[in-house]
Amino acid sequence: MDLKELSVLGCGDNTVEMVEVDEENFALSNSSAADAAFDAVIGRIEDIIMEEEFQQLQQSFMDKHYMEFDDSDENKLSYTPIFNDYVDLLERHLEQQLMDRIPGFNMTAFTHLLMQHKEEVPGDISDMLLSFTDFMAFKEMFLDYRAEKEGKGPDLSQGLVVTSLSCTGCKHTGSTTGTS
Amino acid sequence: MGLLTILKKMKHKEREMRLLMLGLDNAGKTTILKKFNGEDVSTISPTLGFNIKTLEHRGFKLNIWDVGGQKSLRSYWRNYFESTDGLVWVVDSADRLRLDDCKRELSVLLLEERLAGATLLVFANKQDLPGALSKEAIQEAMGLDDIKTHHWCIMGCSAVTGENLLSGVDWLLDDIAARVFTAD
Repeated sequence: MDLKELSVLGCGDNTVEMVEVDEENFALSNSSAADAAFDAVIGRIEDIIMEEEFQQLQQSFMDKHYMEFDDSDENKLSYTPIFNDYVDLLERHLEQQLMDRIPGFNMTAFTHLLMQHKEEVPGDISDMLLSFTDFMAFKEMFLDYRAEKEGKGPDLSQGLVVTSLSCTGCKHTGSTTGTS
Repeated sequence: MGLLTILKKMKHKEREMRLLMLGLDNAGKTTILKKFNGEDVSTISPTLGFNIKTLEHRGFKLNIWDVGGQKSLRSYWRNYFESTDGLVWVVDSADRLRLDDCKRELSVLLLEERLAGATLLVFANKQDLPGALSKEAIQEAMGLDDIKTHHWCIMGCSAVTGENLLSGVDWLLDDIAARVFTAD
């Protein structure tokens, strides 16, 4: 099979490697080159979103904006541009990383292929990618992050003493200074 | 458009719809949303941001977005147009003084390209109030019969009693389903 035809995706070199990695690849016996190329890109996407760098990207974004998010049912209008920036940031990172790893990678060509193969994207990957564009999941992520930052979450590294002093201590100091 | 956005549009599941609820302030948008969702509606304060409810109805997953209607907030409505299948325009049927305002704001929305494919449901809300105009009067005052660009329907309703909320949403679902899901 002539893998050169796949130059639009530029991932002929990676095909064999990716097929091995992907255990769910039922197309092993009868996969066309295009299928294999498609699977290879999906595999790369999976790599990228599992990497530390990706998580750091998310974390530094949350660090920048988490103070804006309040745990209330109603959403502030300001969440929306932050959400759009977030999706944009992840999209640009994904695209850039794919271009770095797959010579000649072309997003337009890939999305075209994606439309034809949409049923073949492994469920966990597509769920994960879709969760990045889900506003409610986005808000939840920020609220969890903020709770953790402020010591309300399961993260105990903040130090229990500091937390308890600032909660009970400050309320009483003001009202009891006269008597104590 | 990037990968995630495309994937989202592609995966926009067959039985999932996005409804955008707009209207002047104090029209009852949030009350409708909460009532429809089975929540307590006795203490609703003016919406300064937006609310989202995701609920299942007749096997459809409805994502309903309700954005505050105060004048200063209306310029933000545009941030919520994308991918809207149904526009729910809520009218305070007892607010006769602002019907012109109401008509004007709706006519601006109907020119929006990103809402061009959306079905329009007009809720003539607050029918439980003694001074409320009938849905026929609202239909005429707002010139709904002149709308040729969108499928539309008007329903008299009461967010407080819940009257007709279901019928309205059912009509909307039927229209969207017939339009969107048979086109594939």
